[in-house]
Amino acid sequence: MNAAPALLGYAAGVGFLAPRLLLRSAWPHRAPALAVAVWHGLTVSFTIAVALAAYHLAAPTEHLHADLIAVLHSCGLTTATATTAAPDPTVADRLAITLPLSVVLLVLGCFVFEVLRGRRTRSRHREVLDMVGRRSPHLCATVLEHDRPAAYCLPGHQPRVVITAGALRLLSPGQLEAVLEHERSHIAGRHHLVMAATQAFARVFRRLPLARHGKEQTSVLLEMIADDRALRRRSREELATAMYEMAAAKAAPVGAFAVGGPSAVVRMRRVLAPQRRPHVALRGTVAAAAAVVPVIPLLFGCVPTLG
Amino acid sequence: MRRLGDLEAEIMDRLWRWQRPATVREVVDDINEERPLAYTTVMTVTNILYNKGWLLRTKQGRAWLYTPVRSREEYAAALMEDALGASEDRPVALAHFVQQMDPDEISALREALRTVGRRAES
Repeated sequence: MNAAPALLGYAAGVGFLAPRLLLRSAWPHRAPALAVAVWHGLTVSFTIAVALAAYHLAAPTEHLHADLIAVLHSCGLTTATATTAAPDPTVADRLAITLPLSVVLLVLGCFVFEVLRGRRTRSRHREVLDMVGRRSPHLCATVLEHDRPAAYCLPGHQPRVVITAGALRLLSPGQLEAVLEHERSHIAGRHHLVMAATQAFARVFRRLPLARHGKEQTSVLLEMIADDRALRRRSREELATAMYEMAAAKAAPVGAFAVGGPSAVVRMRRVLAPQRRPHVALRGTVAAAAAVVPVIPLLFGCVPTLG
Repeated sequence: MRRLGDLEAEIMDRLWRWQRPATVREVVDDINEERPLAYTTVMTVTNILYNKGWLLRTKQGRAWLYTPVRSREEYAAALMEDALGASEDRPVALAHFVQQMDPDEISALREALRTVGRRAES
């Protein structure tokens, strides 16, 4: 039995329906780290489903196991069982391996590209920053002489937390610490790698709802994770008012395009009105689902022929 | 131990603060008030800065006079544009605290703050 239609149906479900379901649920904002894991689990699951569907379309009669052995055989990696069991790989067999492999390699390649591009941009930025900014050992941050209040971070290798002189003038010590803690947690959590992964997936499957929403949601969820970390050290009021002060002080001119603005409103409501984390049973189920979902497409490929 | 980059920053810092062209000798003398450092070291690093495009130089007598290509403020403004500019790709490279918002959204934030403040008082 050919599993291609089932796999394609599954991929459509993951790619189109699952993001809609996730967007409608309330729990992701209450457990942002879990939600990021679910988005990524779906992404991996979708990629594997598409790759396997391509495999089954190209080699409708063969089963994956036999072909893996054939690949090993053609690579010269013969084992005792492989030499007896493996048929000579035909053109169709080769295609059946090349297609799914190229899907997976394309996504992985884009991820590596995004990581390297980010690293290059940051290291150029850091070079100028180290010259122009003043290191503050007291704040563990680099102070940039600029009136516009802003804070950002350069994650990755040789990380930097940057705060402008304008922000230092604007914020109280407590607010400042909340902002810095937020940026530090981006660095500690290696959020840039998570972002690079969603970015890579969105580059390959550009129009797919899972890719589009996944990218947007991941960036908002990562901010929420950083907010939660900042709240371990600082009060809700300090973080929320810092958010407001910084946003209000650098308002975009009327009519200008606001870059993903609404996320700040959502974040602030969330910081101000504490919500309990989802029930432990729900958290456990979601975590298990996130872990299992990448494996599901493999079952589609194997179970029918086993039976 | 101080790194080469630190010395580069120290030299640039002085030239930016003085806001006038200066010779390597002047920079060395100023640094030597804090700690000993060889003239040749400073000269080499200044030359590196010139080659990297941070400094301009003009000949005065037998010595070179160095000036920063751009002011510290201009570099800072360029960094800010780089970090907070409205490019879609930016989040990969740099994450910043709050994004730019229009006045409507800011009043929504203010409203959210006020509501909670009221609830806390009552």
